[in-house]
Amino acid sequence: MKSNMRTPVVLVAILLALLVFITVGGNYYAHLLALVFTNVILASSLRLSILCGQLNIGHSAFMSVGAYTSALLAKNLGLPFELSLLSGALLAMLVGLVMGYPSLRLRGVYFAMVTVAFVEAIRLIVQIWVSLTRGMSGLSGIPKPSLFGMLLATKTEQCYLALGLMVVVLLVLYKLEYSRLGLIWKSIGMADNLALSLGVNVASYKLLAFALGCFFAGIAGAFYAHFVRFLFPPTFDFLMATNILVYNYVGGRGHFWGPIVGAAFLSWLPEVFRGSEATRQYETIFFSITMLLTILFLPGGLITLPSKLADLFRRRPVGVAEPGSAAVTSG
Amino acid sequence: MALLEATQLSKHFGGLAAVSQVDLRVEEGEIVGLIGPNGAGKTTCFNLLSGFLPPTAGTITFAGEPITGLKPYHIVARGLVRTFQHTTLFQDMTVLQNVLMGLHMHSRKGLGQILFRPRAFPQEEIDRAHEVLAFTGLSPLAEQLAKNLPHGYQRTLGIAMALAVRPRLLMLDEPVTGMNLDESLHVMRLVQTIRDRGTTILLVEHNMKAVMGTCERVVVLNFGQKLAEGTPAEVSSNPEVIAAYLGGGVTHA
Repeated sequence: MKSNMRTPVVLVAILLALLVFITVGGNYYAHLLALVFTNVILASSLRLSILCGQLNIGHSAFMSVGAYTSALLAKNLGLPFELSLLSGALLAMLVGLVMGYPSLRLRGVYFAMVTVAFVEAIRLIVQIWVSLTRGMSGLSGIPKPSLFGMLLATKTEQCYLALGLMVVVLLVLYKLEYSRLGLIWKSIGMADNLALSLGVNVASYKLLAFALGCFFAGIAGAFYAHFVRFLFPPTFDFLMATNILVYNYVGGRGHFWGPIVGAAFLSWLPEVFRGSEATRQYETIFFSITMLLTILFLPGGLITLPSKLADLFRRRPVGVAEPGSAAVTSG
Repeated sequence: MALLEATQLSKHFGGLAAVSQVDLRVEEGEIVGLIGPNGAGKTTCFNLLSGFLPPTAGTITFAGEPITGLKPYHIVARGLVRTFQHTTLFQDMTVLQNVLMGLHMHSRKGLGQILFRPRAFPQEEIDRAHEVLAFTGLSPLAEQLAKNLPHGYQRTLGIAMALAVRPRLLMLDEPVTGMNLDESLHVMRLVQTIRDRGTTILLVEHNMKAVMGTCERVVVLNFGQKLAEGTPAEVSSNPEVIAAYLGGGVTHA
């Protein structure tokens, strides 16, 4: 098989396997998979910020905006799911623009600290605005998702929807990353001063990446709202924002597939440790250990595991081909 | 009319006057050297001229228009392009991609272009990038990752990227730092060729030999102030300049 044909074939195979699994897996697995798909959307949408070299630990805030917006529009105004989802995503993007504009001039850890503040600010607004969001009582009675007027009543149907959303979002994100725009974002992540010196309006490209990331986080949030049908402010907390970031790092932030692998791998953990309160405690420990092990032994993330293993067994010569006429430089 | 003219340019960092009341003129078609001992304010001057730092006082005009306080990308759009002292490249991109990034200013980049074009770069831009690579002698390395290049080639790539922007004035910050004699001669010849093709050059350099052989006019900075200005021969025989470089005595080294 030609290697450029292999990727599409593998992808279609995975997609078919997922479809079969959803169809025969029953409610439990449909529920679980839909949440995994949501996490994949979240992790991959954060990748846009990561491409620009930004440490964004506030992504759950924009998921929350998407979730509450979509839920309230559908519940109070009877908006169809497609429209409420889009409104949620757009409002998340708008909030992202407003919050991102002043903060994106900060760099490194200072920007990271501001994004943490986003999470708390949004959580507090949602918590205090009781007349609209019901605050800490939680928002319930959110309508189930529908598509073209067709109610998706069962978990299995909703899981198909999640799969569809994920595939569409990933296609768009893939297209973005491998376009000129993606290259510009990567160039900013590698050397923002150099990009600036070549005439790139660094600030607005960063803002675009951030706002688009918020848009897709809003989509994930909106789906989550109609799927779980109960929203509670602390759900979208700092821990969730950290998890989204960790998916990227554990999966591998150097590659498009990194956050997908990371989210798919780590999203199962809560289920493994679900048994009882006692085993619940181990979840966080295991999560942390996974993260530490990855950072220590696979700095490139899980995505680099196959090539690392291949290296171990084959002992390939290290380094790359020398350029034709390598000049010897003196210090 | 000078292509670039800075008048009474000053930059203070707190109480420190990094650059103080410097006047600088660069005429179209010249190669001007900006030299001075460590900490003389050369790179700060570059940062002011290219918009990377706002000046505390003074004005800058480029091609007759004021550019004081403009954002770097606006200044680049007018044709004033700078390189960096430390090797600054998009390390994880190929040499070709690095140069393509330099074409950013001149590319059509509508959203439709970005989302619906099968390829990130149109053929004419790739051709143009290859021209720049051929001109700078980097063609054989086009598909290498920038980080895998030897130091000398990395510096040349930095210049190639700036050239892709098609500057009217190219500002080079220490282009031959860390190079051996052969490499630095190669780069200096390249600089002259670039000038002969119509690009004005302003370069900061430590390597006196390189500056003296290439520049037509030299401006010497010391402690943020202009110490001397003139042809390389005039400047190198100026006792004050020699004192500044050697820190004291006026004997020739």
